Amino acid sequence: MKRIANRRGYSIFAYHILSLLLSLVTCHLSLVTSIYAETPARIISLAPSMTEILFALGLEERIVAVTSFCDYPEEAKKKPKIGGMSNPSLEAVVSLKPDIVLMTTDGNPKEFEERLRSLRIKTYVFKQRRLSELPQGIREVGSVLGVKDKADLLANEIETTINKLKTQNSKLKTQKKKVLFIVWPEPLIVAGPGTAIDDAMNLLGYENIASKAKTTYPKYSIEEVIHQSPDVIFIGKGHVNMKEVSNSILKRIAKVPAVKNGAVFYVSDNLYRLGPRVIKGIEEMAECLK
Amino acid sequence: MSKIKITVLMLVAIIIFLSALFIGPRIINPFRMGDMEKEILFSIRFPRVVVAILVGMALGASGAILQGVLRNPLADPYILGISSGASLSAAFALLSGIYSFGRFTIPLTAFLGASAVSVLVGVFGWRRGGLWPERLLLAGVGLSFLFHSVLMLLMSISTDEGLRRAVLWIFGDLSMADWSLIPYGLVFIVSGLIISVSRSKALNALILGDEFAHSLGFSIHKERFMLFISMALMTGASVSLGGTIGFIGLLIPHIMRFVAGADSRVLIPLSAIGGGAFLCLADLIGKSIMTPMEIPSGIITAIIGSPYFLYLLRRKDVLSI
Repeated sequence: MKRIANRRGYSIFAYHILSLLLSLVTCHLSLVTSIYAETPARIISLAPSMTEILFALGLEERIVAVTSFCDYPEEAKKKPKIGGMSNPSLEAVVSLKPDIVLMTTDGNPKEFEERLRSLRIKTYVFKQRRLSELPQGIREVGSVLGVKDKADLLANEIETTINKLKTQNSKLKTQKKKVLFIVWPEPLIVAGPGTAIDDAMNLLGYENIASKAKTTYPKYSIEEVIHQSPDVIFIGKGHVNMKEVSNSILKRIAKVPAVKNGAVFYVSDNLYRLGPRVIKGIEEMAECLK
Repeated sequence: MSKIKITVLMLVAIIIFLSALFIGPRIINPFRMGDMEKEILFSIRFPRVVVAILVGMALGASGAILQGVLRNPLADPYILGISSGASLSAAFALLSGIYSFGRFTIPLTAFLGASAVSVLVGVFGWRRGGLWPERLLLAGVGLSFLFHSVLMLLMSISTDEGLRRAVLWIFGDLSMADWSLIPYGLVFIVSGLIISVSRSKALNALILGDEFAHSLGFSIHKERFMLFISMALMTGASVSLGGTIGFIGLLIPHIMRFVAGADSRVLIPLSAIGGGAFLCLADLIGKSIMTPMEIPSGIITAIIGSPYFLYLLRRKDVLSI
């Protein structure tokens, strides 16, 4: 009798242990799922492109802070600031008690993400850098933030534009025209490989003469510009009047076909950030190239 | 002996000058030039080479003068804060986006900054009717720190893309060199060189000590003031033409001392030639090795110059100013 009782005691004990383990596992599982199931109510964006995506997904109300670089749309400027992109203030971020902090691999320091995680603050890192990867990135952000439908809509819109241009321009098998996108004229900094601008030029069936440079925004040789003689030159928007600032460089490369034929276009900064505005940016370029 | 060395140095300088014109991202054959080659040669390369030579000459000569006047082997044209003042005012113009003088804006603001700091250093260094080396040095270091930190403050709170431009400018950028600025730079740098060479005898005496110079009949305060003015003119002009380019002002005078001795009458012109040729070479390398990208010449000067300097240092027994 005693032995039976003992055995029962064991089995009860084992049952308890088992159930404890089980509950631990399920609890853990629920924690894992809650990361993505529970929609974060307090969002901090550490990159201007992320801020733009958040606004495009209609999450304006849930943004508690942005960086001092976040200037688009206009309402973003009114949000509280937590510092710059490369040097956000850890204290400011923590004190705002965010449910999630959105970062990018393009401008935010990796160590900052590690610090946040060690403080048990949830982070999401946007790793996409190319135009073709943008729709997927937006979808992922959407599912993390619980706005999957809206994200799908936006992503599809971008995808359709990209695909439409792809099929349009794959038919053009003639000599590709050469383009240069000037980000800043003195010293000459241009859009190089791996940028959304470079991707957009390829999509439109043009060749970026700076695509052989080794960095995304190289300091470019003026001699090389003359040698490669671009047919079209874009000059991006800056913090000052670009027409004034670019005067002298255009004079120096006056014999290049783009300048000679008046194919120099001043465009917006829509393509500088990998966000919802890229479509506008591509359409703007296409309009100029017509 | 030193005549042979000077001739060799001149020859090397001329070879560097010619190769900077015809080599480059792409080689130009001087006997078969098309329109494009002519344009690249005359409106892009030639002015750039001239600016590199002018800036290098100014820095080399100012370094030699300053090391003598301050009797300090660590002195260079930037130690007096002239470059940080120029950088600060140029960065201010770049960040605020004021472009009221078109392409002259940045060089002009840099030159104004440099001149203002020269005056300030002069005021702090002035006591009992003259400039004193220790006072000058300490005033320069103090002002340098002040301007540098204000510059860092500006950069850390600025939010727009002016930032990267400011950084590139501060690293030294010769790519925007064109003929329009050269006459102004030439006037300042040549007059600085003439003043300093004409005072080089006095500099020799000053290096040996104020009392010694006095006993030789030199008016020490007047000589020091003239040398200071010549250095300030050259440094200010060089910073406004090409940003801050390290190494040349500090180490070219030392290298020339190793090569040709410490007599200022020879050292100042040699440091000028050496500095000009060296910056020209560094710029040629900077714009050619990673075409179509360009590497700021200030980085190249230090990377190729420092090992050579260290090699000379190993070989020499006696060090002198």
